Amino acid sequence: MKKRLTALVLAFAMIFTMTVLTACGGNQGDQADQGDQSEGRTFVMGIDPEYPPFSYLGDNGEYTGFDVDVARAVCDKLGWQLEIFELNWDNRYIQLDNNECDCVWSGMTILESTKEEGYVLSAPYFDNSQVLMVKADSGIASSADLAGKDVGVQLGTSGDILLGEDLAELAGTFNSVVRSDSFLKCFTELDGGAVDAVLVDAPVAASYAAEHDGFVILDEKLGGEQYGICFRSGDQELCDEVEGAIQELVADGTYKQIAEKEEYGEIINSLIFLQQ
Amino acid sequence: MSLWTMIVSMAEGLERTCAIFFLTLIFSLPLGMCVALLRMSKNKVVANATRFVISVLRGTPLMLQLLAVTYGPYYLFGIGVARNKLIPVVIAFAINYAAYFAEIYRGGIESIPLGQYEAANVLGYTKTQTFIRIILPQVVKRIMPSVTNEVVTLVKDTSLAFTVSYQEMFTIGKQIANSQTSFMPFVVAGVFYFVFNAIVDYGMGRIENRLDYYN
Repeated sequence: MKKRLTALVLAFAMIFTMTVLTACGGNQGDQADQGDQSEGRTFVMGIDPEYPPFSYLGDNGEYTGFDVDVARAVCDKLGWQLEIFELNWDNRYIQLDNNECDCVWSGMTILESTKEEGYVLSAPYFDNSQVLMVKADSGIASSADLAGKDVGVQLGTSGDILLGEDLAELAGTFNSVVRSDSFLKCFTELDGGAVDAVLVDAPVAASYAAEHDGFVILDEKLGGEQYGICFRSGDQELCDEVEGAIQELVADGTYKQIAEKEEYGEIINSLIFLQQ
Repeated sequence: MSLWTMIVSMAEGLERTCAIFFLTLIFSLPLGMCVALLRMSKNKVVANATRFVISVLRGTPLMLQLLAVTYGPYYLFGIGVARNKLIPVVIAFAINYAAYFAEIYRGGIESIPLGQYEAANVLGYTKTQTFIRIILPQVVKRIMPSVTNEVVTLVKDTSLAFTVSYQEMFTIGKQIANSQTSFMPFVVAGVFYFVFNAIVDYGMGRIENRLDYYN
């Protein structure tokens, strides 16, 4: 009798937990689905959570970065609630299509293929280039020195794609290309001696090298590109609204203020809206 | 990119997936037996220590163990990260799977009635002889379905190796999915895993039938 009672209690406990979990899970999905343009809407921004200085976990345990700060200011301006969704970067399009977030806004490179797929893209806001980061004592001075070496890159980033296309010839001289799931892991591999160089976006390299000793960024610029915000096809209206708010922020100086933050390094020099 | 090119480039990664799979089995199956024997040791300290280790290995994600084995030495002692990632990957996989196999072996060994040990003793078998000639053959037969379960899981778990930048088949799939903005590589990966497991299933079924010589 006692055993039966215990079993019954356990069964109820399980059902209860599952109900609570499903209820919580359900809510999250609903919020991203709310496509209404009313005031107080929740704007879900999809970020790569390990992409300093554009989007990363700050010292206080909350997401910060240039893109996050701008998005926050945009939402303040429009009276929206900002919610941050951590993307699995190499699945970003699938997650965006699944309404898990309203946009991908995290130093995302504008690619021709993205446009061809029908995604709505904002005007470019950042001029980026790919650079090579090496250890200070490696003796590597240019991409030509990388013949027979191992080069790290984050899977699915523009550096990775570049190595398959425009830089395929250079990639052919490497011993191997080591793909990781985040840049921070690439840097750990570099520091730990598992790779000889990392092909990475210039601002990411600059912000990492500023905080960690022993790394050198080569002057050579490999491949230029621009960052934009990516929305689902059909969300042109949302894109226009966000872009409008950003222009207001540029006009009233808030944008510049954010860009000038010390922890964001030199990104201010490459922001397109501040050059005009 | 045509579907065929996609399949060919992913098939290249399949080689590295197979490397994890076979090496893990080669190391973890015997290691599991050692762990199982330690776990059943008459010495309470040894038995409990082993029990604790097993519970840690089963109670923490394999992904975490992969990270710990690969980057742990670097963060803790400043020892470099291995260039050949297959080594830390196989170490982590083998240790993790050995813990599961150990418990499966223990279940099998403990399911053999005590009377058999007594009978063997009466017939003059030594302890080792009893274990190897009488107990073990029966255990192998009994645990086959559970072992197949683990082996099938192992095929799918190989995709976790990307956590430490080891590029197996699924990583290449993700890479193609990215550059082509296409879902197709995931479908291909799914088919690859399924076919791989169908072969494993068939092979294990054959072995099981072979062992079923009394029926």
